[in-house]
Amino acid sequence: MYLELAVRNLRRTKVRSSLAIVGIIIGVMAIASIGILGNTMKQTALERFSDQARIIVVMPSNIKGFTDIAEDDFKIIERVGNIEYAIPVKDDRKMVNYKDSRAYVAIYGINEEDLRKLYNAYDGDIKLKGSAVVGYRLASNFGISVGEKISVGNKTYRVSGILEYQGLGGGLNPDNAVFLSMEDFDRIFEKEGYTSIVVKASSLEFVQDVEKRIDELVNTKQQKVEMRDFESLIQNVEESMNSMTRFLMAIAAVSLLVAGVGILNIMLMSTMERTREIGVMRAIGAPRRTVLFLFLTESAILGLAGSFIGALLSYLGAFFVVSSMGYSTNYVLNPSSAIYILQGLLVGIMTSILSGLYPAWKASRVEPMEALRYE
Amino acid sequence: MSVELVDVHKVYKTSYYEVRAINGITMRIEDGEFIAIMGPSGSGKSTLLYLIGCLDKPTKGEVIIDGVETSKLGDDELTRLRREKLGFIFQQYNLISTLTALENVELPMIFKGVPKDERKRKAMELLRLIGIEDIAERKPMEISGGQQQRVAIARAMANEPRILLCDEPTGNLDSKSGRQIMGTIKELNEEKGVTVILVTHDPSMAEFAERIVRLRDGRLQDVP
Repeated sequence: MYLELAVRNLRRTKVRSSLAIVGIIIGVMAIASIGILGNTMKQTALERFSDQARIIVVMPSNIKGFTDIAEDDFKIIERVGNIEYAIPVKDDRKMVNYKDSRAYVAIYGINEEDLRKLYNAYDGDIKLKGSAVVGYRLASNFGISVGEKISVGNKTYRVSGILEYQGLGGGLNPDNAVFLSMEDFDRIFEKEGYTSIVVKASSLEFVQDVEKRIDELVNTKQQKVEMRDFESLIQNVEESMNSMTRFLMAIAAVSLLVAGVGILNIMLMSTMERTREIGVMRAIGAPRRTVLFLFLTESAILGLAGSFIGALLSYLGAFFVVSSMGYSTNYVLNPSSAIYILQGLLVGIMTSILSGLYPAWKASRVEPMEALRYE
Repeated sequence: MSVELVDVHKVYKTSYYEVRAINGITMRIEDGEFIAIMGPSGSGKSTLLYLIGCLDKPTKGEVIIDGVETSKLGDDELTRLRREKLGFIFQQYNLISTLTALENVELPMIFKGVPKDERKRKAMELLRLIGIEDIAERKPMEISGGQQQRVAIARAMANEPRILLCDEPTGNLDSKSGRQIMGTIKELNEEKGVTVILVTHDPSMAEFAERIVRLRDGRLQDVP
Protein backbone atom coordinates (compact mmCIF):
# COMPACT_ATOMS: atom_id res chain seq x y z
CA MET A 1 0.00 0.00 0.00
CA TYR A 2 2.81 2.40 0.85
CA LEU A 3 4.40 1.51 -2.47
CA GLU A 4 1.14 2.21 -4.26
CA LEU A 5 0.79 5.50 -2.42
CA ALA A 6 4.36 6.46 -3.32
CA VAL A 7 3.75 5.71 -6.98
CA ARG A 8 0.59 7.81 -6.96
CA ASN A 9 2.37 10.69 -5.31
CA LEU A 10 5.06 10.58 -7.97
CA ARG A 11 2.42 10.49 -10.65
CA ARG A 12 0.94 13.69 -9.26
CA THR A 13 4.01 15.51 -10.50
CA LYS A 14 4.64 13.47 -13.61
CA VAL A 15 6.89 15.89 -15.47
CA ARG A 16 9.02 16.57 -12.45
CA SER A 17 9.37 12.90 -11.57
CA SER A 18 10.18 11.98 -15.17
CA LEU A 19 12.89 14.62 -15.35
CA ALA A 20 14.44 13.34 -12.15
CA ILE A 21 14.41 9.84 -13.62
CA VAL A 22 15.99 11.11 -16.83
CA GLY A 23 18.77 12.64 -14.73
CA ILE A 24 19.49 9.31 -13.10
CA ILE A 25 19.30 7.52 -16.45
CA ILE A 26 21.93 9.85 -17.89
CA GLY A 27 24.15 9.45 -14.84
CA VAL A 28 23.96 5.67 -14.79
CA MET A 29 24.46 5.52 -18.55
CA ALA A 30 27.51 7.74 -18.35
CA ILE A 31 29.12 5.64 -15.63
CA ALA A 32 28.31 2.28 -17.16
CA SER A 33 29.14 3.23 -20.76
CA ILE A 34 32.48 4.68 -19.78
CA GLY A 35 33.17 1.65 -17.61
CA ILE A 36 32.49 -0.56 -20.61
CA LEU A 37 34.69 1.64 -22.79
CA GLY A 38 37.51 1.21 -20.28
CA ASN A 39 36.91 -2.50 -20.17
CA THR A 40 36.99 -2.71 -23.96
CA MET A 41 40.28 -0.86 -24.01
CA LYS A 42 41.67 -3.17 -21.38
CA GLN A 43 40.47 -6.35 -23.03
CA THR A 44 41.76 -5.20 -26.40
CA ALA A 45 45.17 -4.55 -24.89
CA LEU A 46 45.15 -7.82 -22.98
CA GLU A 47 44.15 -9.73 -26.06
CA ARG A 48 47.30 -8.50 -27.75
CA PHE A 49 49.43 -9.72 -24.88
CA SER A 50 47.54 -12.73 -23.67
CA ASP A 51 49.07 -15.17 -26.11
CA GLN A 52 52.55 -14.18 -25.06
CA ALA A 53 51.62 -13.98 -21.42
CA ARG A 54 51.20 -17.72 -21.23
CA ILE A 55 54.76 -18.28 -22.42
CA ILE A 56 57.45 -19.36 -20.00
CA VAL A 57 61.02 -19.51 -21.22
CA VAL A 58 63.16 -22.05 -19.40
CA MET A 59 66.88 -21.30 -19.63
CA PRO A 60 69.99 -22.87 -18.18
CA SER A 61 71.08 -21.18 -15.00
CA ASN A 62 74.19 -19.39 -16.24
CA ILE A 63 75.04 -18.05 -12.82
CA LYS A 64 75.34 -21.59 -11.46
CA GLY A 65 77.55 -22.61 -14.36
CA PHE A 66 74.97 -24.37 -16.54
CA THR A 67 75.09 -23.60 -20.24
CA ASP A 68 72.48 -26.02 -21.55
CA ILE A 69 69.42 -28.04 -20.60
CA ALA A 70 69.86 -31.80 -20.85
CA GLU A 71 67.51 -33.95 -22.91
CA ASP A 72 66.39 -35.72 -19.69
CA ASP A 73 65.36 -32.44 -18.13
CA PHE A 74 63.46 -31.51 -21.25
CA LYS A 75 61.56 -34.81 -21.02
CA ILE A 76 60.60 -33.93 -17.44
CA ILE A 77 59.46 -30.45 -18.41
CA GLU A 78 57.46 -31.83 -21.32
CA ARG A 79 55.42 -33.99 -18.95
CA VAL A 80 54.41 -31.16 -16.56
CA GLY A 81 50.65 -30.75 -16.46
CA ASN A 82 48.61 -27.81 -17.75
CA ILE A 83 50.89 -26.95 -20.60
CA GLU A 84 50.01 -26.58 -24.24
CA TYR A 85 53.49 -27.34 -25.44
CA ALA A 86 57.15 -27.44 -24.47
CA ILE A 87 59.46 -26.65 -27.36
CA PRO A 88 63.20 -27.32 -27.12
CA VAL A 89 65.34 -24.75 -28.87
CA LYS A 90 69.04 -24.46 -29.51
CA ASP A 91 70.59 -21.22 -30.53
CA ASP A 92 73.90 -19.67 -31.35
CA ARG A 93 75.22 -17.00 -33.66
CA LYS A 94 76.88 -17.40 -37.01
CA MET A 95 77.79 -15.40 -40.08
CA VAL A 96 74.99 -15.51 -42.66
CA ASN A 97 75.68 -14.71 -46.32
CA TYR A 98 73.17 -13.85 -49.01
CA LYS A 99 74.51 -12.60 -52.30
CA ASP A 100 76.68 -9.63 -51.25
CA SER A 101 75.13 -9.15 -47.83
CA ARG A 102 76.50 -10.72 -44.72
CA ALA A 103 75.61 -10.43 -41.08
CA TYR A 104 76.33 -12.15 -37.80
CA VAL A 105 72.85 -13.23 -36.66
CA ALA A 106 71.05 -15.62 -34.33
CA ILE A 107 70.64 -19.18 -35.62
CA TYR A 108 67.95 -21.33 -34.03
CA GLY A 109 67.72 -25.08 -34.10
CA ILE A 110 64.14 -26.20 -33.77
CA ASN A 111 61.80 -28.96 -34.93
CA GLU A 112 59.68 -28.05 -37.91
CA GLU A 113 56.34 -28.78 -36.24
CA ASP A 114 57.43 -26.78 -33.20
CA LEU A 115 58.29 -23.74 -35.29
CA ARG A 116 54.82 -23.95 -36.81
CA LYS A 117 53.33 -23.81 -33.34
CA LEU A 118 55.26 -20.66 -32.56
CA TYR A 119 54.97 -18.60 -35.73
CA ASN A 120 53.16 -18.26 -39.00
CA ALA A 121 54.79 -17.85 -42.37
CA TYR A 122 54.47 -14.45 -43.97
CA ASP A 123 55.61 -15.89 -47.26
CA GLY A 124 56.33 -19.46 -48.40
CA ASP A 125 56.01 -22.42 -45.99
CA ILE A 126 57.63 -23.42 -42.77
CA LYS A 127 59.74 -26.38 -43.92
CA LEU A 128 63.04 -27.27 -42.32
CA LYS A 129 63.99 -30.51 -44.12
CA GLY A 130 67.27 -29.32 -45.55
CA SER A 131 65.90 -25.83 -45.91
CA ALA A 132 65.83 -22.72 -43.71
CA VAL A 133 63.21 -20.26 -42.50
CA VAL A 134 64.25 -16.65 -41.99
CA GLY A 135 62.84 -13.87 -39.83
CA TYR A 136 61.00 -10.92 -41.31
CA ARG A 137 63.62 -8.24 -40.66
CA LEU A 138 66.50 -10.33 -41.92
CA ALA A 139 64.58 -11.15 -45.09
CA SER A 140 63.65 -7.54 -45.74
CA ASN A 141 67.11 -6.18 -44.91
CA PHE A 142 68.83 -8.62 -47.20
CA GLY A 143 66.05 -8.69 -49.77
CA ILE A 144 65.67 -12.45 -49.46
CA SER A 145 62.78 -14.11 -51.31
CA VAL A 146 61.35 -17.58 -50.83
CA GLY A 147 63.24 -20.19 -52.87
CA GLU A 148 66.55 -18.35 -52.83
CA LYS A 149 69.67 -19.64 -51.11
CA ILE A 150 71.51 -18.37 -48.07
CA SER A 151 74.59 -19.74 -46.42
CA VAL A 152 75.06 -20.22 -42.72
CA GLY A 153 78.71 -20.67 -41.96
CA ASN A 154 79.88 -22.88 -44.77
CA LYS A 155 76.54 -24.63 -45.38
CA THR A 156 73.98 -23.48 -47.89
CA TYR A 157 70.19 -23.68 -47.45
CA ARG A 158 67.20 -22.95 -49.60
CA VAL A 159 64.80 -20.46 -47.94
CA SER A 160 61.44 -22.20 -47.67
CA GLY A 161 59.61 -19.47 -45.79
CA ILE A 162 59.72 -16.01 -44.23
CA LEU A 163 58.07 -15.52 -40.84
CA GLU A 164 55.56 -12.83 -39.97
CA TYR A 165 56.93 -9.83 -38.15
CA GLN A 166 56.84 -10.53 -34.40
CA GLY A 167 58.40 -7.64 -32.53
CA LEU A 168 59.43 -8.16 -28.94
CA GLY A 169 58.34 -10.99 -26.70
CA GLY A 170 57.42 -14.60 -27.01
CA GLY A 171 60.74 -15.82 -25.66
CA LEU A 172 62.73 -15.86 -28.91
CA ASN A 173 63.78 -13.04 -31.17
CA PRO A 174 62.80 -14.44 -34.55
CA ASP A 175 62.81 -11.30 -36.67
CA ASN A 176 66.51 -11.17 -37.23
CA ALA A 177 67.24 -14.89 -37.18
CA VAL A 178 67.58 -18.01 -39.26
CA PHE A 179 65.74 -21.19 -38.27
CA LEU A 180 67.21 -24.59 -39.07
CA SER A 181 66.16 -28.10 -38.18
CA MET A 182 67.80 -29.60 -35.09
CA GLU A 183 69.84 -31.90 -37.30
CA ASP A 184 71.15 -29.09 -39.49
CA PHE A 185 71.87 -26.97 -36.42
CA ASP A 186 73.85 -29.80 -34.83
CA ARG A 187 75.92 -30.20 -37.99
CA ILE A 188 77.08 -26.61 -37.66
CA PHE A 189 77.39 -26.14 -33.93
CA GLU A 190 77.64 -29.61 -32.36
CA LYS A 191 75.84 -28.64 -29.16
CA GLU A 192 74.81 -31.17 -26.55
CA GLY A 193 71.74 -29.89 -24.69
CA TYR A 194 69.17 -27.21 -25.46
CA THR A 195 69.74 -23.52 -24.89
CA SER A 196 66.12 -22.87 -23.98
CA ILE A 197 62.73 -24.52 -23.71
CA VAL A 198 59.70 -22.48 -24.70
CA VAL A 199 56.73 -23.60 -22.58
CA LYS A 200 53.19 -22.37 -23.06
CA ALA A 201 50.77 -22.80 -20.18
CA SER A 202 47.31 -23.97 -21.24
CA SER A 203 45.81 -20.92 -19.55
CA LEU A 204 47.05 -17.72 -17.94
CA GLU A 205 46.08 -18.87 -14.48
CA PHE A 206 48.41 -21.89 -14.68
CA VAL A 207 51.57 -19.92 -15.44
CA GLN A 208 52.66 -19.78 -11.80
CA ASP A 209 51.81 -23.43 -11.20
CA VAL A 210 53.76 -24.60 -14.21
CA GLU A 211 56.80 -22.61 -13.14
CA LYS A 212 56.62 -23.99 -9.64
CA ARG A 213 56.29 -27.52 -10.93
CA ILE A 214 59.27 -27.20 -13.28
CA ASP A 215 61.32 -25.75 -10.44
CA GLU A 216 60.37 -28.66 -8.17
CA LEU A 217 61.09 -31.32 -10.73
CA VAL A 218 64.25 -30.02 -12.41
CA ASN A 219 66.00 -28.01 -9.71
CA THR A 220 66.08 -30.88 -7.25
CA LYS A 221 69.72 -30.87 -6.18
CA GLN A 222 71.01 -27.80 -7.94
CA GLN A 223 69.42 -24.84 -9.57
CA LYS A 224 69.88 -26.01 -13.11
CA VAL A 225 67.29 -23.82 -14.84
CA GLU A 226 65.77 -20.37 -14.55
CA MET A 227 62.44 -19.19 -15.83
CA ARG A 228 61.24 -16.00 -17.36
CA ASP A 229 57.60 -15.06 -17.98
CA PHE A 230 55.60 -12.08 -19.11
CA GLU A 231 53.01 -11.98 -16.41
CA SER A 232 54.18 -8.75 -14.83
CA LEU A 233 53.79 -7.11 -18.21
CA ILE A 234 50.15 -8.16 -18.31
CA GLN A 235 49.63 -7.05 -14.75
CA ASN A 236 51.01 -3.63 -15.57
CA VAL A 237 48.73 -3.27 -18.55
CA GLU A 238 45.76 -4.44 -16.53
CA GLU A 239 46.47 -2.16 -13.60
CA SER A 240 47.05 0.95 -15.65
CA MET A 241 43.90 0.27 -17.69
CA ASN A 242 41.89 -0.30 -14.52
CA SER A 243 43.01 2.94 -12.94
CA MET A 244 42.27 4.82 -16.13
CA THR A 245 38.78 3.29 -16.21
CA ARG A 246 38.20 4.24 -12.60
CA PHE A 247 39.29 7.78 -13.31
CA LEU A 248 36.95 8.09 -16.29
CA MET A 249 34.10 6.61 -14.30
CA ALA A 250 34.70 9.08 -11.49
CA ILE A 251 34.29 11.90 -14.01
CA ALA A 252 31.09 10.29 -15.28
CA ALA A 253 29.89 9.98 -11.69
CA VAL A 254 29.67 13.76 -11.53
CA SER A 255 26.65 13.59 -13.79
CA LEU A 256 25.04 11.16 -11.39
CA LEU A 257 25.84 13.49 -8.53
CA VAL A 258 23.97 16.23 -10.36
CA ALA A 259 21.05 13.84 -10.84
CA GLY A 260 21.19 13.12 -7.11
CA VAL A 261 20.91 16.81 -6.37
CA GLY A 262 17.92 16.81 -8.73
CA ILE A 263 16.20 14.18 -6.63
CA LEU A 264 17.10 16.03 -3.47
CA ASN A 265 15.55 19.12 -4.97
CA ILE A 266 12.25 17.61 -6.09
CA MET A 267 11.82 15.62 -2.90
CA LEU A 268 12.40 18.76 -0.84
CA MET A 269 9.82 20.58 -2.94
CA SER A 270 7.47 17.69 -2.52
CA THR A 271 7.99 17.72 1.25
CA MET A 272 7.12 21.39 1.34
CA GLU A 273 4.09 21.11 -0.90
CA ARG A 274 2.75 18.19 1.05
CA THR A 275 3.36 19.61 4.52
CA ARG A 276 -0.35 19.69 5.20
CA GLU A 277 -0.84 16.14 3.99
CA ILE A 278 2.02 15.00 6.21
CA GLY A 279 0.33 16.79 9.11
CA VAL A 280 -2.94 14.99 8.41
CA MET A 281 -1.24 11.63 8.26
CA ARG A 282 0.56 12.33 11.51
CA ALA A 283 -2.72 13.48 13.10
CA ILE A 284 -4.56 10.31 12.16
CA GLY A 285 -1.80 8.17 13.53
CA ALA A 286 1.14 7.80 11.13
CA PRO A 287 4.37 7.44 13.12
CA ARG A 288 7.37 9.49 12.06
CA ARG A 289 9.09 6.41 10.63
CA THR A 290 6.10 5.77 8.36
CA VAL A 291 6.39 9.26 6.90
CA LEU A 292 10.14 8.77 6.55
CA PHE A 293 9.61 5.44 4.85
CA LEU A 294 6.99 6.84 2.48
CA PHE A 295 9.25 9.62 1.25
CA LEU A 296 12.25 7.33 1.03
CA THR A 297 10.16 4.94 -1.02
CA GLU A 298 9.39 7.72 -3.45
CA SER A 299 13.02 8.62 -4.02
CA ALA A 300 13.93 4.94 -4.16
CA ILE A 301 11.34 4.41 -6.90
CA LEU A 302 12.82 7.30 -8.88
CA GLY A 303 16.28 5.84 -8.34
CA LEU A 304 15.33 2.27 -9.18
CA ALA A 305 13.41 3.24 -12.29
CA GLY A 306 16.16 5.57 -13.50
CA SER A 307 18.94 3.14 -12.66
CA PHE A 308 17.36 0.14 -14.35
CA ILE A 309 16.42 2.04 -17.48
CA GLY A 310 19.87 3.63 -17.44
CA ALA A 311 21.53 0.24 -17.05
CA LEU A 312 19.64 -1.14 -20.04
CA LEU A 313 20.35 1.91 -22.14
CA SER A 314 23.99 1.67 -21.11
CA TYR A 315 24.45 -1.07 -23.65
CA LEU A 316 23.33 1.33 -26.34
CA GLY A 317 25.48 4.10 -24.89
CA ALA A 318 28.44 1.77 -24.71
CA PHE A 319 28.02 0.69 -28.34
CA PHE A 320 28.01 4.33 -29.29
CA VAL A 321 30.96 5.41 -27.15
CA VAL A 322 33.09 2.36 -27.92
CA SER A 323 32.54 2.50 -31.66
CA SER A 324 33.04 6.25 -31.78
CA MET A 325 36.42 5.73 -30.09
CA GLY A 326 37.34 3.32 -32.85
CA TYR A 327 37.29 0.13 -30.81
CA SER A 328 35.62 -3.14 -31.68
CA THR A 329 32.25 -3.50 -29.93
CA ASN A 330 32.90 -7.21 -29.27
CA TYR A 331 33.47 -6.62 -25.60
CA VAL A 332 30.33 -4.56 -24.94
CA LEU A 333 28.20 -7.66 -24.40
CA ASN A 334 31.07 -9.57 -22.82
CA PRO A 335 30.43 -10.77 -19.24
CA SER A 336 33.42 -8.70 -18.11
CA SER A 337 31.46 -5.57 -19.09
CA ALA A 338 28.42 -6.53 -17.04
CA ILE A 339 30.22 -5.58 -13.85
CA TYR A 340 30.26 -1.95 -15.01
CA ILE A 341 26.53 -2.04 -15.72
CA LEU A 342 26.06 -3.42 -12.24
CA GLN A 343 28.29 -0.73 -10.78
CA GLY A 344 26.34 2.00 -12.57
CA LEU A 345 23.11 0.46 -11.35
CA LEU A 346 24.21 0.24 -7.73
CA VAL A 347 25.74 3.70 -7.65
CA GLY A 348 22.55 5.07 -9.23
CA ILE A 349 20.30 3.44 -6.64
CA MET A 350 22.56 4.47 -3.80
CA THR A 351 22.74 8.08 -4.99
CA SER A 352 18.95 8.26 -5.17
CA ILE A 353 18.42 6.82 -1.73
CA LEU A 354 21.08 9.07 -0.21
CA SER A 355 19.52 12.09 -1.92
CA GLY A 356 16.11 11.09 -0.61
CA LEU A 357 17.36 10.73 2.93
CA TYR A 358 17.38 14.38 3.93
CA PRO A 359 13.98 15.32 2.45
CA ALA A 360 12.45 12.21 4.00
CA TRP A 361 13.97 13.01 7.36
CA LYS A 362 12.67 16.55 7.04
CA ALA A 363 9.20 15.27 6.21
CA SER A 364 9.24 13.02 9.24
CA ARG A 365 10.10 15.95 11.51
CA VAL A 366 7.05 17.96 10.43
CA GLU A 367 5.02 18.93 13.49
CA PRO A 368 1.40 17.89 12.89
CA MET A 369 0.01 21.02 14.51
CA GLU A 370 2.05 23.42 12.40
CA ALA A 371 1.40 21.38 9.26
CA LEU A 372 -2.36 21.55 9.77
CA ARG A 373 -2.21 25.31 10.09
CA TYR A 374 -0.06 25.49 6.95
CA GLU A 375 -1.99 26.75 3.96
CA MET B 1 -13.13 7.68 27.99
CA SER B 2 -12.76 10.86 29.98
CA VAL B 3 -10.64 13.91 29.29
CA GLU B 4 -9.31 16.12 32.03
CA LEU B 5 -7.52 19.45 31.71
CA VAL B 6 -5.62 20.83 34.66
CA ASP B 7 -4.59 24.50 34.52
CA VAL B 8 -3.65 24.27 30.86
CA HIS B 9 -1.77 27.19 29.33
CA LYS B 10 -0.57 27.58 25.78
CA VAL B 11 1.70 30.41 24.74
CA TYR B 12 2.85 30.85 21.17
CA LYS B 13 6.10 32.69 21.02
CA THR B 14 7.92 34.11 18.06
CA SER B 15 10.87 36.45 18.22
CA TYR B 16 8.52 39.41 17.75
CA TYR B 17 5.46 38.67 19.79
CA GLU B 18 3.85 36.34 22.25
CA VAL B 19 0.29 35.02 22.06
CA ARG B 20 -1.41 33.58 25.12
CA ALA B 21 -3.81 31.30 23.27
CA ILE B 22 -4.97 29.30 26.29
CA ASN B 23 -4.85 30.95 29.63
CA GLY B 24 -5.35 28.46 32.45
CA ILE B 25 -8.18 26.11 31.64
CA THR B 26 -9.29 23.40 34.02
CA MET B 27 -12.18 21.20 32.95
CA ARG B 28 -13.39 17.63 32.70
CA ILE B 29 -15.19 15.94 29.83
CA GLU B 30 -16.97 12.73 30.77
CA ASP B 31 -16.98 9.50 28.83
CA GLY B 32 -19.73 9.51 26.20
CA GLU B 33 -20.38 13.21 26.53
CA PHE B 34 -21.13 15.48 23.54
CA ILE B 35 -19.60 18.86 24.27
CA ALA B 36 -19.43 21.95 22.10
CA ILE B 37 -16.69 24.50 22.54
CA MET B 38 -17.82 27.89 21.26
CA GLY B 39 -16.23 31.24 21.01
CA PRO B 40 -15.31 33.98 18.56
CA SER B 41 -12.36 33.47 16.25
CA GLY B 42 -9.08 33.88 18.07
CA SER B 43 -10.61 32.79 21.36
CA GLY B 44 -8.38 29.72 21.41
CA LYS B 45 -11.03 27.08 20.82
CA SER B 46 -9.15 25.28 18.04
CA THR B 47 -5.95 25.41 20.05
CA LEU B 48 -7.80 23.80 22.94
CA LEU B 49 -9.08 21.05 20.66
CA TYR B 50 -5.60 20.32 19.32
CA LEU B 51 -4.22 20.23 22.85
CA ILE B 52 -6.83 17.62 23.77
CA GLY B 53 -6.03 15.84 20.51
CA CYS B 54 -2.37 15.53 21.46
CA LEU B 55 -1.33 17.35 18.31
CA ASP B 56 0.13 20.12 20.41
CA LYS B 57 1.61 20.26 23.87
CA PRO B 58 0.57 22.72 26.58
CA THR B 59 3.16 25.23 27.72
CA LYS B 60 1.99 24.60 31.24
CA GLY B 61 -0.57 22.30 32.85
CA GLU B 62 -1.65 18.77 32.05
CA VAL B 63 -3.99 17.08 29.62
CA ILE B 64 -5.12 13.75 31.03
CA ILE B 65 -6.79 11.31 28.66
CA ASP B 66 -8.26 8.16 30.12
CA GLY B 67 -6.19 8.75 33.25
CA VAL B 68 -2.91 9.07 31.34
CA GLU B 69 -0.90 12.27 31.71
CA THR B 70 -0.07 13.01 28.09
CA SER B 71 2.91 15.23 28.91
CA LYS B 72 4.74 12.09 29.98
CA LEU B 73 4.31 10.39 26.62
CA GLY B 74 6.85 10.39 23.80
CA ASP B 75 6.07 11.08 20.17
CA ASP B 76 5.46 7.44 19.27
CA GLU B 77 3.11 6.94 22.20
CA LEU B 78 1.20 10.12 21.40
CA THR B 79 0.94 8.97 17.80
CA ARG B 80 -0.48 5.65 18.95
CA LEU B 81 -2.92 7.43 21.24
CA ARG B 82 -4.15 9.55 18.31
CA ARG B 83 -4.34 6.53 16.06
CA GLU B 84 -6.22 4.24 18.38
CA LYS B 85 -8.22 6.38 20.77
CA LEU B 86 -8.85 9.67 18.99
CA GLY B 87 -10.57 10.53 15.73
CA PHE B 88 -10.18 13.87 13.97
CA ILE B 89 -12.60 15.72 11.74
CA PHE B 90 -11.34 18.97 10.22
CA GLN B 91 -13.06 21.92 8.62
CA GLN B 92 -11.12 21.33 5.34
CA TYR B 93 -11.85 17.57 5.41
CA ASN B 94 -8.12 16.94 4.87
CA LEU B 95 -8.53 13.82 2.83
CA ILE B 96 -5.46 12.51 1.00
CA SER B 97 -6.08 13.56 -2.58
CA THR B 98 -4.27 10.66 -4.22
CA LEU B 99 -6.34 8.06 -2.39
CA THR B 100 -9.91 6.96 -3.09
CA ALA B 101 -12.63 7.39 -0.44
CA LEU B 102 -12.22 3.77 0.60
CA GLU B 103 -8.43 4.05 0.80
CA ASN B 104 -8.71 7.22 2.87
CA VAL B 105 -10.80 5.30 5.38
CA GLU B 106 -8.29 2.45 5.27
CA LEU B 107 -5.35 4.73 6.00
CA PRO B 108 -5.54 4.82 9.84
CA MET B 109 -5.91 1.04 9.80
CA ILE B 110 -2.84 0.74 7.55
CA PHE B 111 -0.89 2.77 10.09
CA LYS B 112 -2.19 0.43 12.79
CA GLY B 113 -1.22 -2.66 10.79
CA VAL B 114 -4.67 -4.13 10.23
CA PRO B 115 -4.52 -6.93 7.60
CA LYS B 116 -5.64 -5.94 4.12
CA ASP B 117 -8.85 -7.97 3.82
CA GLU B 118 -10.07 -6.98 7.25
CA ARG B 119 -9.41 -3.29 6.72
CA LYS B 120 -11.08 -3.25 3.30
CA ARG B 121 -14.15 -4.94 4.73
CA LYS B 122 -14.22 -2.60 7.70
CA ALA B 123 -13.71 0.55 5.61
CA MET B 124 -16.54 -0.49 3.32
CA GLU B 125 -18.75 -1.15 6.33
CA LEU B 126 -18.04 2.32 7.68
CA LEU B 127 -18.86 3.95 4.34
CA ARG B 128 -22.10 1.99 4.27
CA LEU B 129 -22.91 3.03 7.82
CA ILE B 130 -22.45 6.66 6.87
CA GLY B 131 -24.39 6.11 3.65
CA ILE B 132 -21.74 6.78 1.00
CA GLU B 133 -20.65 3.30 -0.11
CA ASP B 134 -21.49 4.26 -3.71
CA ILE B 135 -18.55 6.71 -3.87
CA ALA B 136 -16.01 4.30 -2.37
CA GLU B 137 -13.82 4.21 -5.46
CA ARG B 138 -13.86 7.94 -6.10
CA LYS B 139 -11.13 10.38 -5.21
CA PRO B 140 -11.80 13.48 -3.04
CA MET B 141 -11.75 15.78 -6.08
CA GLU B 142 -14.62 13.84 -7.59
CA ILE B 143 -17.10 14.15 -4.73
CA SER B 144 -18.97 16.98 -2.99
CA GLY B 145 -17.89 18.72 0.20
CA GLY B 146 -20.57 16.99 2.21
CA GLN B 147 -19.46 13.62 0.87
CA GLN B 148 -15.83 14.44 1.60
CA GLN B 149 -16.69 15.26 5.17
CA ARG B 150 -18.57 11.98 5.48
CA VAL B 151 -15.49 10.14 4.22
CA ALA B 152 -13.52 12.08 6.85
CA ILE B 153 -15.95 10.92 9.54
CA ALA B 154 -15.60 7.33 8.35
CA ARG B 155 -11.82 7.76 8.45
CA ALA B 156 -11.98 9.20 11.95
CA MET B 157 -13.98 6.17 13.07
CA ALA B 158 -11.72 3.60 11.36
CA ASN B 159 -9.85 2.46 14.45
CA GLU B 160 -12.93 2.71 16.67
CA PRO B 161 -11.77 5.70 18.70
CA ARG B 162 -13.45 6.62 22.00
CA ILE B 163 -13.16 10.34 21.39
CA LEU B 164 -14.11 12.27 18.25
CA LEU B 165 -12.52 15.70 17.90
CA CYS B 166 -14.34 17.93 15.43
CA ASP B 167 -12.85 21.26 14.34
CA GLU B 168 -15.63 23.27 12.65
CA PRO B 169 -16.77 20.19 10.73
CA THR B 170 -19.60 22.08 9.02
CA GLY B 171 -17.67 25.29 8.41
CA ASN B 172 -17.27 24.69 4.68
CA LEU B 173 -20.72 23.20 4.09
CA ASP B 174 -24.15 24.60 3.32
CA SER B 175 -26.58 24.40 6.22
CA LYS B 176 -28.40 21.34 4.93
CA SER B 177 -25.23 19.27 4.48
CA GLY B 178 -23.99 20.70 7.75
CA ARG B 179 -27.01 19.43 9.61
CA GLN B 180 -26.70 16.01 8.00
CA ILE B 181 -23.07 15.80 9.11
CA MET B 182 -24.01 16.86 12.63
CA GLY B 183 -26.75 14.21 12.57
CA THR B 184 -24.21 11.55 11.71
CA ILE B 185 -21.86 12.70 14.47
CA LYS B 186 -24.74 12.77 16.93
CA GLU B 187 -25.67 9.21 15.96
CA LEU B 188 -22.14 8.00 16.58
CA ASN B 189 -22.29 9.67 19.98
CA GLU B 190 -25.61 8.14 20.91
CA GLU B 191 -25.29 4.71 19.36
CA LYS B 192 -21.61 3.96 19.86
CA GLY B 193 -21.10 6.05 22.99
CA VAL B 194 -18.24 7.99 21.42
CA THR B 195 -17.23 11.13 23.30
CA VAL B 196 -17.59 14.08 20.93
CA ILE B 197 -15.76 17.34 21.36
CA LEU B 198 -17.00 19.87 18.82
CA VAL B 199 -15.47 23.24 18.11
CA THR B 200 -17.81 25.62 16.32
CA HIS B 201 -18.86 29.22 16.17
CA ASP B 202 -22.24 28.30 14.72
CA PRO B 203 -24.90 28.19 17.48
CA SER B 204 -27.24 26.03 15.38
CA MET B 205 -24.59 23.32 15.23
CA ALA B 206 -23.72 23.65 18.89
CA GLU B 207 -27.32 22.74 19.67
CA PHE B 208 -26.52 19.11 18.88
CA ALA B 209 -24.30 19.02 21.99
CA GLU B 210 -25.39 18.19 25.52
CA ARG B 211 -23.16 20.80 26.99
CA ILE B 212 -21.73 24.03 25.60
CA VAL B 213 -18.68 25.78 26.95
CA ARG B 214 -17.71 29.23 25.82
CA LEU B 215 -14.21 30.49 25.40
CA ARG B 216 -12.98 34.06 25.34
CA ASP B 217 -9.32 35.13 25.29
CA GLY B 218 -8.19 31.68 26.20
CA ARG B 219 -10.41 31.34 29.29
CA LEU B 220 -13.64 29.49 29.96
CA GLN B 221 -16.53 31.87 30.39
CA ASP B 222 -19.11 29.75 32.11
CA VAL B 223 -18.59 26.29 33.40
CA PRO B 224 -21.88 24.68 34.31
